[in-house]
Amino acid sequence: MKNHVNVEEWVAMFEAIGLDEARMHQWHKLFETRHPDAHQGFLEWLGLGWEEIDRIRAKFR
Amino acid sequence: MKTYSISKLARACGLSRSTLLYYDRLGLLKPSGRTGSGYRYYGEGERRRLRRIGRFRLAGLTLKEIRGVLSSGGKPGTRLLEERLRETADKIVGLKNQQRLLAGMLRQVASGKRPPMVDVKLWVKMLQAAGMDEDGMHRWHSEFERRAPEGHQEFLLSLGLSRQQVEEVRRLSREAWSIGRAEAASRRNRARSRVSWHDSKAPISQPKQLAGP
Repeated sequence: MKNHVNVEEWVAMFEAIGLDEARMHQWHKLFETRHPDAHQGFLEWLGLGWEEIDRIRAKFR
Repeated sequence: MKTYSISKLARACGLSRSTLLYYDRLGLLKPSGRTGSGYRYYGEGERRRLRRIGRFRLAGLTLKEIRGVLSSGGKPGTRLLEERLRETADKIVGLKNQQRLLAGMLRQVASGKRPPMVDVKLWVKMLQAAGMDEDGMHRWHSEFERRAPEGHQEFLLSLGLSRQQVEEVRRLSREAWSIGRAEAASRRNRARSRVSWHDSKAPISQPKQLAGP
């Protein structure tokens, strides 16, 4: 099934409702430390490639 | 002094004879001598050394590394061990990933459905942990529905919601939760529009009902 939302759109939506960068960072960090597999699953769902996913996950580890 | 033939020592340590011949060639484990007819024999010292080799092998050290360790006092350096530990951790992450993917594929094959990437309870919990409140989530649904209705639908399905639940969330996103009307409607609709998986006290296994008065 094709996923219609890319990362930029996703970030734009969070910004539109007032979630700033710091909050998003916090969110990634929590996700990565508490539920690494789910974090991976979400990033895959967004359509990111393996390298990009690894990079993001490493950043918040 | 007790001695072992190559086959006996191999058997005692759960290895094959050819492994010991290979270790001999590498200089990792030399026999303590040869019999008159040229057969290798090993003593207790060699047996202990072989046990240590086995332990290092189990810990993931290569034969070359083991030879290095044994020829320099027998204690592996901290750096070597740390490196191996890090590699092991990487492998575990890789294996867990494999496990998750395989389990997902299996579920998918078994059910014919796409497995949820993150379950809805977990998703809500993580948003709450990052400081997003109920109103924030409602605003987010409205934005999502307005900007990318199909993406919204797909995302909700991917969280494991049923078609019916997805429809209800999308309807609320368009009506009760939409920006501008939210304030006026929220007081009236708050109870009606609260979805149970946003409530941390709701039972985890049943995100089915849209709680109503």
